[in-house]
Amino acid sequence: MIFHIGYLILVTATVLAAFGMIAGFVGGRQRNVKLTLSSYHAVYAMAGLVALAAAILWYALLTDRFEVAYVWNHSERALPVFYKFSALWGGQAGSLLFWLLILSGFSVAAAFFNRRRHWAIMPYVNAVMLGTSLFFAVLLVFAANPFELASFVPQDGMGLNPLLQNYWMVLHPVMLYIGYVGLAVPFAFAVGALLSKRLDNQWVRTVRRWTLIPWMFLSAGILMGSQWAYMELGWGGYWAWDPVENASFLPWLTATAFLHSIVVQEQRGILKVWNAALIWMTYFLVILGTFTTRSGVLESVHSFARSDVGPFFLVFMVIILFGFLWLLFKRLPLLRDEQAIESYTSREAAFMANNWLFAGIAFATLWGTFFPMFSEILTGDRISVAAPFFNKVNGPLFLLLILLMGAAPLLGWRRTSRQAFRKQFTWPLLVGAVTGVAIWLLYDAGYPAIGLAACAFAAATIVQEYVRGVQARRITSGESVPAAMGNLWRRNGRRYGGYLVHLGIVLIAAAVIGNEFFQQNTNVTLANGESVTLGRYEIAYTGLEPNRKVNHVEYGARLMIFDQESGKTLGSILPRRNIYDKTPEQPTSEVGLRMTLIEDTYVVLNGWETGGSTATFTMYINPLTAWMWIGGLVLVLGTLIASWPHPGRRRSEAADSVAYAVGSAGD
Amino acid sequence: MADLSDIRSETQDAPNTPDAQAPAPAPGMVVVWRAIFVGILLLFVVLLAWRLWDTNRSEHRASGMAPPFTFTTFEGETISLDDLQGQGVVVNFWASWCDPCRDEAALLEQAWRREKDNGIVFIGLDYLDQEPAAKAYLAEFGITYPNGPDLRSEAARRYGIKGVPETFFINSAGEIAQTVIGPIVNEAQMESYLAEIRP
Repeated sequence: MIFHIGYLILVTATVLAAFGMIAGFVGGRQRNVKLTLSSYHAVYAMAGLVALAAAILWYALLTDRFEVAYVWNHSERALPVFYKFSALWGGQAGSLLFWLLILSGFSVAAAFFNRRRHWAIMPYVNAVMLGTSLFFAVLLVFAANPFELASFVPQDGMGLNPLLQNYWMVLHPVMLYIGYVGLAVPFAFAVGALLSKRLDNQWVRTVRRWTLIPWMFLSAGILMGSQWAYMELGWGGYWAWDPVENASFLPWLTATAFLHSIVVQEQRGILKVWNAALIWMTYFLVILGTFTTRSGVLESVHSFARSDVGPFFLVFMVIILFGFLWLLFKRLPLLRDEQAIESYTSREAAFMANNWLFAGIAFATLWGTFFPMFSEILTGDRISVAAPFFNKVNGPLFLLLILLMGAAPLLGWRRTSRQAFRKQFTWPLLVGAVTGVAIWLLYDAGYPAIGLAACAFAAATIVQEYVRGVQARRITSGESVPAAMGNLWRRNGRRYGGYLVHLGIVLIAAAVIGNEFFQQNTNVTLANGESVTLGRYEIAYTGLEPNRKVNHVEYGARLMIFDQESGKTLGSILPRRNIYDKTPEQPTSEVGLRMTLIEDTYVVLNGWETGGSTATFTMYINPLTAWMWIGGLVLVLGTLIASWPHPGRRRSEAADSVAYAVGSAGD
Repeated sequence: MADLSDIRSETQDAPNTPDAQAPAPAPGMVVVWRAIFVGILLLFVVLLAWRLWDTNRSEHRASGMAPPFTFTTFEGETISLDDLQGQGVVVNFWASWCDPCRDEAALLEQAWRREKDNGIVFIGLDYLDQEPAAKAYLAEFGITYPNGPDLRSEAARRYGIKGVPETFFINSAGEIAQTVIGPIVNEAQMESYLAEIRP
């Protein structure tokens, strides 16, 4: 009964979303206050209905109501409560409902925080948000009903995919969803601005924080996904250019480009068309990514079980693509650039280069992701482009991007004088050069020397900016160093938070370079007591330990690590293999890891014989990997500082307008 | 921080002259460029739609003509189904983590040793696996017929397998004569299928 009500709620939500969307569009066009208010109310009511539907599905999952097909397929009695809770987004229908839930949350936030501002734009924003909600509600009602009942009442569920029974795996889709879904808000604002012809800088200013926060979640989600792949999949890497990884990476690239190029529009009144196009592409890539992971058009380890959602997505994508394009073409005369770029050594030129690079990386990645599909259609042969393609094309582009990231903050708007060049670039270039030469001499490796030199250069510019900022504060107000730092963040968070984000990216880049060029690995079968030498370590196998858990058996192989030179014990690691009761043919491996700031020792247990008298391992030494996760934390911290609202904002409007970093001056 | 004020005044002083330096291109060209742009997007969507339709169609397990595939064995030899025309081919999907696969491994190897001179080729495609574990598995059962990883599960998708093991018996004309879901249980069953594809 209650599940029928759940379905009815979804049907009601569909109708409501359609009504609200129309109310928003018509209300905005006719400047009708009643209809506009209706669109607000529809947003709030929609969120209530969706939350109720989600609550019903959660109730079904937590109370083991296996008569609901979704619960039956994605849960089981013995599943720990935490995973029962997260099973809501473990399967197709549930995750679509979860999408809708987050989307409703964002719609409410966007409507509520702007309820007294942007009166011309807001009805359209509500309409676009509700339009997106309508699409997902239609999917749930017509193609993937989460409340569908099984024809009988099963005794127990089939269990959650073991690969998903991991904390990172539970968290990273949530982060990705928040990031993905949140990017609908800036898109809605762009549509609103175009429709209402309010094409001044206002929408751009407002939208910055609405982009920055989802961007942060998307970044964190991608990194957590990498972490999951690293910890759980056991192939020694963190990124495989898999279609689904690319699906999350593509909107990240265009959103990052957007965050940078809106600064130029704000400052110089140029790139207006480009900005509108970028956020449109971002939103399209979000929907495309959701589509590709759910329709089976691309082959990936991540794909959901196929269902009938594909055609719906296609129609929606056509509407987004051509609807927006039509609108953009119609408004082109209103989007003329106010000025032109004057010099190649100006900051806006650097921003332009940044945008071209991001667009280039996005295009190459899109091409590589869809190439197998195209090649199969055109030649009948499915030619996959593997990681080497992406690395070869995107590697140099990222290198340029990091160099630019170092250089751009040192350039002035409009042009940079020769004097300023000398003052700004001497130290960072020196640091970069020394690092490069040192690495080249130490390891005799060209590419990593260049890459790490670029990283050092970019890091040095950030440090230089901080040192100068702190010094300036100490001179003018005599503050202590920590207080000066705090004040930099508080008063000019956009700029100095942005630098922190850059620092995070530099750290991640360094980790990638370390892994790409200095990874060592070996495959060994060790008898109990035997050992192997890898890198600077000697690793000895000391026996297999089985361990019974609620819904699986855990087999751990105990290994001791010694320093090869001194023979000192450094620690022990325990790579494991979990055999699940429900799906014994699909064991998961739990990597054994010893993490240090210099390098990770990473061991996978592949198998064993006769109760563990011998065991087979794959072992890796992954240099600098820890910095990837540290860089991620720095990035999140920087984004928070850059987007933190502070009371002094209005007063420092002028300072804002020169701030380099991407934050928000929305309110 | 010293240059902040300069920049501010610069921004304020900048003359607000729309399209002063960007002359509008000829209207004819604009239409052409727009058409090209829209055309590319349209093509992309059409390809996606085509692919979606194709995927839904190939949802089912392969039957009739055997879908072609090429793979590289663990020893590095490249084998294509097309090159095996005129011979009977047994394609077995397996994985080292798959317990039921172990039930038929020895049987497959015996059949291969017996039949390789009768014009029947055995091929093992390793589905979603790790290479060291797969090699250990092959060594464990002393398997000598060509085996290799099914990279990106290409063959698995084309044959529409639902799990492992699945075995396809392909006759000398390239048609799938028999499909076995799950392990082949005994010699008699194996023999009856082989009889259908012996050239």
